[in-house]
Amino acid sequence: MTVTDIVAIRDLDHRYGETHALRGVDLTVASGECVALLGPNGAGKTTLVSALTGALAPAGGTVRITGNDPRRPEARRRLGVVHQHAGFPRTLKVGELVAGWAVRAGRPAADADAVLAEVGLHDLRKRRATQLSGGQQQRLQLAMALVVDPTLLVLDEPSVGLDIDARRRFWATLAARRDRGTAVLLTTHQIEEAAAVADRVVVLHQGTVIASGPPADLTAQLPDRTVTARTALRDRELRALPDVLDVTVADGRMRAASARPEATVRALLAADPTLSDLRVEGATLEQAIVSMITQESQEVAA
Amino acid sequence: MTASILAVEIRDELYSIIREPTAAVFSIAMPVGMFALFATLFGTEASGPVSGATLMLATFGAFGVISVALTPGIGIAEDRERGWLRVKRVSPVPVRTTLAAKVAASLPVAFGVYAAMSLTAFAMGLFDTDVRTWLQIAGLLLLGSLPFALLSIAVGFVARGRTAPAIINAVFLPMAIAGGLWMPLEMLPSFVQDLSVWLPTYHASQLGLGVLMGEPMIDHIVALVAATTVTASLAAMAYRSSRA
Repeated sequence: MTVTDIVAIRDLDHRYGETHALRGVDLTVASGECVALLGPNGAGKTTLVSALTGALAPAGGTVRITGNDPRRPEARRRLGVVHQHAGFPRTLKVGELVAGWAVRAGRPAADADAVLAEVGLHDLRKRRATQLSGGQQQRLQLAMALVVDPTLLVLDEPSVGLDIDARRRFWATLAARRDRGTAVLLTTHQIEEAAAVADRVVVLHQGTVIASGPPADLTAQLPDRTVTARTALRDRELRALPDVLDVTVADGRMRAASARPEATVRALLAADPTLSDLRVEGATLEQAIVSMITQESQEVAA
Repeated sequence: MTASILAVEIRDELYSIIREPTAAVFSIAMPVGMFALFATLFGTEASGPVSGATLMLATFGAFGVISVALTPGIGIAEDRERGWLRVKRVSPVPVRTTLAAKVAASLPVAFGVYAAMSLTAFAMGLFDTDVRTWLQIAGLLLLGSLPFALLSIAVGFVARGRTAPAIINAVFLPMAIAGGLWMPLEMLPSFVQDLSVWLPTYHASQLGLGVLMGEPMIDHIVALVAATTVTASLAAMAYRSSRA
């Protein structure tokens, strides 16, 4: 752990009966850093987040937020969490919820006004939380997370229900907080969004970290690229092209995954003089993650 | 636990009562209505220095106060089901503060039940006690309802929002009748009378009766402390199982 690490997780281990949810996970998140925790359902993301937010006592390993055990309530004073769904009480108003959250964190209730303005909910502060739209409720959760002046923000699928404008505003708000040193741990299934906002991606699979690094580094590890074009060649002919790993053809347009796109393109141009609309695309983060998970599963099976 | 955090938690709970008063009104109206009915039928029969209706302030009062004391568990079950308790768990507020606030916020409603019954007895001309004794009974009834509040918390951590009230009523109503909260134990079958001494409802009502009749209360206090220990253990176990 460095002096700027807000989160320090070491050798985290947890079981639910026979299911080994986490197997010796290490993870750090530095001040101002945004780490996206990705992986398929059942990978252990929820268990890790539960341990990090103090909701779960892990069977093994240590979890620390700024050096403190999050199981202790006072260690969560500057922890902001945005859940997929908050389940707000029917009887509380927006302003009351945010001001109340400030007081619970030991901050002045008056801080609520500035934060509500920051997330664009100030005009709705006298409305009951359950009368807000889904996107507005997500912004309300963000307001509650921000009003504690967080050193760490944990975001669980935070942009679900947000329209494009609200999403942009959401990420802009977070960027401003990160500039002030807030660490962010994000779990999401929207991988390209994670690639856009995260400094680092951690891929969890069957309770183990199988990859970690900046999104660009992870996609660079994937040798194959995608070659797309309109072609008269048939499926069998396309599969025979050099270095082609997989081919799909739909509406006269072929998509071929290639280990060496340069060789594939040269052969394609030679084989089909009518070829048009040729493109070579780099691997997406999603493709890289799927590839890593497939490879990991094959190694485990072997 | 700072006072300001507890104050915010209690404020939120009071808002839930004030802004959706249906449940609170029902919690008050039902026992008070039953008190009025039974006081009309049997309230004029004097037992020692006080009227039957005044004695019923101890027994029906216990019924009304305990009915309200059982409501925090319903709130917990609803909060759990909605996901709000999950949000609260990652806040810096210890769960004991949230639970204490739920119980504390139910106290004014519980006192309201007792006060409404007393006003009913007063209106019927059957209120035979002084303010000091009346307040003493109120305090004892509120303290005696603690094991029931803990029992409801235990139910709240294991039951769903809609089933929690059914479970609580299924446990409480037989205990109320067999504990002599609705009618004098002498009117019940002998096996029920034998059973009643094992029920905390019986001991809760005996506190108020002890004040009115000048009888010793130590056995009832010991029994309620034991019941509190058991229900506190049940609540702790239910809480742990809800987190597993």
